[in-house]
Amino acid sequence: MTQIQPMLKPKLSIGAIIARVLLVAILIGFTVMTIYPIIWLIINSFKTSKEFQMNRLGLPIAPTFINYPQAWKIGNFSMLFVNSIFYTGVATLAIVILSLSTSFAFAKIQSKATKPLYNSFVIGILLALESIMVPLFIMSIVTGVYDTRIGILIPYIGLGLPIGVYLGTEFIKSIPDALIESARLEGASYLRIFFSIILPMCIPVAMTLAILTVTSLWNEFMLVNILASRESLKSLPVGILKFSGSLASDYGKQFAALVIGMLPMLIFYLSFRKQIQRGLAAGAVKG
Amino acid sequence: MRQLTGTLERKQAYLLLVLPAVMIYFAVIAFPTIFSIVLSVSNYQGGAVFGEKANWSLVGFKHYLRMFKDQYFWISFKNNIWIMLMSLFIQIPLGFVLAYTIFRKLIVGREFFQTVIYMPTIISVIVVAILWQSIFSPYGPVTSFMRMFIPGWENKLVSHPQLAIVPVLFVMVWYYTGMYLIIFLANLQKIDQQVIESAQIDGANEWQMLKAIILPALSGVIVTTAILAISGSLRSFGLIWAMTAGNPARRTSVLALYMYDNAFKGAPNFPLANAISTFMVTVSFVFIVIAKKIEKRFGGKE
Repeated sequence: MTQIQPMLKPKLSIGAIIARVLLVAILIGFTVMTIYPIIWLIINSFKTSKEFQMNRLGLPIAPTFINYPQAWKIGNFSMLFVNSIFYTGVATLAIVILSLSTSFAFAKIQSKATKPLYNSFVIGILLALESIMVPLFIMSIVTGVYDTRIGILIPYIGLGLPIGVYLGTEFIKSIPDALIESARLEGASYLRIFFSIILPMCIPVAMTLAILTVTSLWNEFMLVNILASRESLKSLPVGILKFSGSLASDYGKQFAALVIGMLPMLIFYLSFRKQIQRGLAAGAVKG
Repeated sequence: MRQLTGTLERKQAYLLLVLPAVMIYFAVIAFPTIFSIVLSVSNYQGGAVFGEKANWSLVGFKHYLRMFKDQYFWISFKNNIWIMLMSLFIQIPLGFVLAYTIFRKLIVGREFFQTVIYMPTIISVIVVAILWQSIFSPYGPVTSFMRMFIPGWENKLVSHPQLAIVPVLFVMVWYYTGMYLIIFLANLQKIDQQVIESAQIDGANEWQMLKAIILPALSGVIVTTAILAISGSLRSFGLIWAMTAGNPARRTSVLALYMYDNAFKGAPNFPLANAISTFMVTVSFVFIVIAKKIEKRFGGKE
């Protein structure tokens, strides 16, 4: 990995060689720094707390798997996983369908309302959750959805819509009008056109959007933290935070809990790496 | 007649397709944004918002004045500025350097490096915060590592009021640089390879090529990343909330955490909390306008 590729041109000045070595050194150094804490965490999750206190840097002398089932049980991870899958799954599905239906109307049905509505969605991309956190909390108390699943889902859906509508509208604009016009001439309603023509064509953008949404919602914790207090509504990150707070000195279990919390996303990332990175680049275009 | 029913059907369809998203968007994003500004100049302390039971009124800018007089506001704001400077002058250049090294194919195994460096971004901030808290803490590997060189080294990284922000900044570099790497790399790959090759044939060296071809082609992206860095650093919150909770002695607080503490810790002060968030949004807006102006001034493309 550290080997420098054969240079195309034989004549490279000393300065250029030093610059190249330096660049490669920075890349390798930063990569090692990135991966080391993660490997350190995984290694230490196989030590008992007692062994960890004596041996913090090395490999486990007597590797043990015991931390995992114990952490799983104490942290009630089965429930946390079900909740996280529920919030992420339902909200992602709703965001994809609602964004695409709105995008279709914005891109292909003439209306005076489109411009102001579309612009207000695009402004929403820049808005931070932090700036609406307190109003959301007050509204959730006043309307009585505090401590309910629906009270968590609706803000989740709302937060994903701006980027969804933006990506969807840009994509559907590129679908030729003729396709819709000929379906119209055959008497198809707009709703039918949406479900049988547009939606199947939108699968690539729907995938990008779904992956973007899953990565951000799976890791979201602040809304669940402020909009729910019941244990049975907590999601994975919130549960892990609570777990580490109550078992702060039981390192072995704490590290196992962190690995459990990290693993689903790591697997998801390694399976959809290309799409995730492409989604980021697409989402960042507008800033 | 046919035309008329067509128009009606079109309007109905438009409404049906757009309404659910618009309603949710306005309820969850647009209304709270405006509500937040109203709250910041009110004396609302809980209870009904509308109707007869509502018991609150507008009181002007006194919460803003109180905020500006609070020393913790200034400590928090200063930390936000540090984070912003670090994002602009460490994360972005580092992200570019890493992307450039991969783009210029100076090394094999490029996919591997790209995959690893972006990896932290997809891990939950909660996991990241607790992990690094353990690493920096007196019982963590940083202490063991330093003691291999300096026996008896005392770890004050998390307890020293002036130093405590340093680990936070470090974790931010670790966590977010991969994002800039991917953005730069995606845009570097859009540059026409032939332009680069013909420049090389003409005898341009690396530095000349960088200055004449690559940086001009990236000027739009540089502004985009700067905007991301500015708005991201003003709202940076989750990581610090879970890693230090602003401690020791609230020295690692940031504006968003200062707002959170005022709204959800102890006796809630909703107007003050909203004054803080309104201030955050305003400042980030001003910085973004400045970034856009600089872009125009220096003739950025796009």
